[in-house]
Amino acid sequence: MSDSQRHPFLHGLSKHRGAPPTVVVIFGASGDLTARKLIPAVYNLGYDNLLPADFFLVGYGRKPIPDAEFRGLADEAIKEFSRRELKADVWDRIAAQTTYVAGGYDDKESFERLAQHIDAIEKKLGRDVQRLFYISTPPSVFVPIIQNLGASGLASKHRHSPQHSRVIIEKPFGKDLTSARELNEAIRSVFDENQVYRIDHYLGKETVQDLLVQRFANAIFEPLWNRNFIDSVQITVAEEVGVGSRGGYYEQSGALRDMIQNHTMQLLALTAMEPPGSLHAEAIRDEKVKVLNAIQPLTIGPAGDVARAQYAAGMVNGKAAPGYLEEEGIAAHSNTETYAALRLSINNWRWQGVPFYLRSGKRMARRVSEIAINFRRPPGTLFAGETARFDLAANTLSFQIQPDEGLSLILNTKVPGLETRTQPVKMSFRYATTFGSNTAEAYERLVLDAMVGDGTLFIRGDEAEASWKLCTPVLDYWRSVGRTGMDSYAAGSWGPASADTLVSSRGQCWRQP
Amino acid sequence: MPDIFEALPGIDVPVSGIPKGLTQMWASNAESGQPSPESEDAKAMQVNFVLHLGLNTTPDDAAKQFETVVKFARRYPSRIVVLCPRSNDEPAPEMRAKIYGECFLGRSKSDKRCVEFVMLSYSKSARPYLENQVSTALSTDLPLYYWAHRFSASGRLADYRYLLSRAKRVLIDSAISPPDALTYPWPNPETTRDLVYCRLLPIRQSVGQFLAAYPPAKIIAGLKAVNVRHDSAVAAEARVLVAWLQRRLAACGAKNDTIAFNVTPRAAEMTSSLAIDFDYGAPCPFFRWRGDLGTGHALFEADFGSGLTRLPAAVSLLSPENTLSEAMFF
Repeated sequence: MSDSQRHPFLHGLSKHRGAPPTVVVIFGASGDLTARKLIPAVYNLGYDNLLPADFFLVGYGRKPIPDAEFRGLADEAIKEFSRRELKADVWDRIAAQTTYVAGGYDDKESFERLAQHIDAIEKKLGRDVQRLFYISTPPSVFVPIIQNLGASGLASKHRHSPQHSRVIIEKPFGKDLTSARELNEAIRSVFDENQVYRIDHYLGKETVQDLLVQRFANAIFEPLWNRNFIDSVQITVAEEVGVGSRGGYYEQSGALRDMIQNHTMQLLALTAMEPPGSLHAEAIRDEKVKVLNAIQPLTIGPAGDVARAQYAAGMVNGKAAPGYLEEEGIAAHSNTETYAALRLSINNWRWQGVPFYLRSGKRMARRVSEIAINFRRPPGTLFAGETARFDLAANTLSFQIQPDEGLSLILNTKVPGLETRTQPVKMSFRYATTFGSNTAEAYERLVLDAMVGDGTLFIRGDEAEASWKLCTPVLDYWRSVGRTGMDSYAAGSWGPASADTLVSSRGQCWRQP
Repeated sequence: MPDIFEALPGIDVPVSGIPKGLTQMWASNAESGQPSPESEDAKAMQVNFVLHLGLNTTPDDAAKQFETVVKFARRYPSRIVVLCPRSNDEPAPEMRAKIYGECFLGRSKSDKRCVEFVMLSYSKSARPYLENQVSTALSTDLPLYYWAHRFSASGRLADYRYLLSRAKRVLIDSAISPPDALTYPWPNPETTRDLVYCRLLPIRQSVGQFLAAYPPAKIIAGLKAVNVRHDSAVAAEARVLVAWLQRRLAACGAKNDTIAFNVTPRAAEMTSSLAIDFDYGAPCPFFRWRGDLGTGHALFEADFGSGLTRLPAAVSLLSPENTLSEAMFF
């Protein structure tokens, strides 16, 4: 929205400083995500003076919790998980407007009580308030919550006015294409698409946003951003941790559902999409959908485009780590992959013939997420042949998403001296070094974006479906063959041998960032 | 009067020896176990920032502004050049230099930023050579920001044309500058920013967010006067605030010639630092805002026909270092 389209009293202020009066309702208020991310995000937004004075927080959950106790839990969460220390005057102001409503997720009467609770806030305030619902619950109750938001009138409150209700939905957006479509249908029966914010916190990370800036604000990259100059692209989302106490959940999920289908596919879409006509949310999301739909269906089966594996016993950070099958809550013959790798081909003018390698796994050598663009080598043999003198690397532009957000470019340079010897060097830019590490966390940015109605960094329904369309045949195949083809890798390593085969056919290897 | 140059920290070096001096400074820091950049990575200077202290700056004021720049540099590592004029002139042009560095350790191992400061003291007769000397201390392929602190002589603008015309932003504090400082013939007037306006951001945001919940037509209907009262410490802020309200109301469609805009010192009984009243010549509608910068508490009261809204809020001015970043980058 341009400045001139906004209220005159918001002209000249950044859009993030113009949030309307808002009630944020968190479903799943006593959950882990609420404590670790959502409450600290709200607190830090208050710390940065980005919340409106008329901001209200309402926790909602099955467990009856008095208001004061909920405020106490929130206080503890800030002390433990906030990136900044608890500052009493900031938190007191938010806490004074924080309440809790207990109720079931499938109980319409409870939602009517919630509606009355918010109406009372609005009446006391004397003006209209936007309702922002954050669904941070297990996916099994997504649909009942959405249906009850519709049935209680909460979803349609102030519809067609700037204060219309909004809903943020946490992943997973379904467990396959069919369930994703069913979830989208349930959502669309209650909310218009412009009220819906499907959150993938990766999109709130600075480097991910910087990807668009690097691509489209620097004239040097975009002319090279195609099959003529790029050899391959590797996208890695590696975790050091195992499944821990989440074995029960993970058994139903696996790496493909938990990471590849959402985070890595979003990173791929932003890397490969065509330049959008504008920075408007729909323009960007249209381009993401186009490129996701241009990905060729995967070849599945032996020597196909997919590898999967489970971690075996190994060593992480100098300590022995158990294998996946020895973890708590894991079936002895589990068919759930803790590692998945894909080789994708995008069937369009820009990317024909350029492989995109995606991988994600648990218990890998280190926690790292990055996008690496490997450029083709220069033509000719001017600096080839004598390998001792000419240590030439492929130019690689890598966006490090976590940890140590930043980007680096590998260049070949001459080693000082009388003889011409070459050596790869790395030009780096790190956010922490340049701007300090205490930058806003992804959830802060995303919650605020939803409050001000900017859907750019959220996933549209058709994006989620396009991604599931690609991954669902793989999941179906794996289910049909049981453990056949399940590889393993040592905990603390960079992945299984079968994944190496995916890249080695082109004489390449996985990066070890 | 003591020299402002003397009030600033740093090691004296010849002007010709600034680069060498900086290298040696970090090396000796490392030897003595103090923080120093292990690589050029840590010297992450992404902007050039020139703080030009005016002739009327006192040593205490110079130290205070320097501290503000240090705090700013913790967030935005910059190549910082501080220019210190000398009032007593010498017949021969003379310039002295000091260097200073700080490393800031953050929360992660990669969060170490080392910032270099170059202080240049110059006599009046050295002024024609100043810009060349400054240019050698800058990273000229990076953006330049210029803070003219207590700059009071419009006739001198031509002396600094190189810096002023290259600067992406020229920062002026109208609270301590001559009244006409903003209208001096700056080479690029559109790049000048008033720090007072930037300091007011939290108040503009808070008032703006509150009023944005009402239709513009309701806000301006029947509005007779806008009164801003202030205590003596924020007279400039009040002046800038009323000018902002005037522009925003005009954007709402108000005919400003029918509305009186008044700025008055606060009455003795008033406890708040700043107060805004929209006067509609009747008890309703009304809009009032009271802000006490001492306690950080503000209060909105309004009724535009939909019932009384009484809303406590926070109030503050931006800190000096955040005011700089607001003025430079936003």
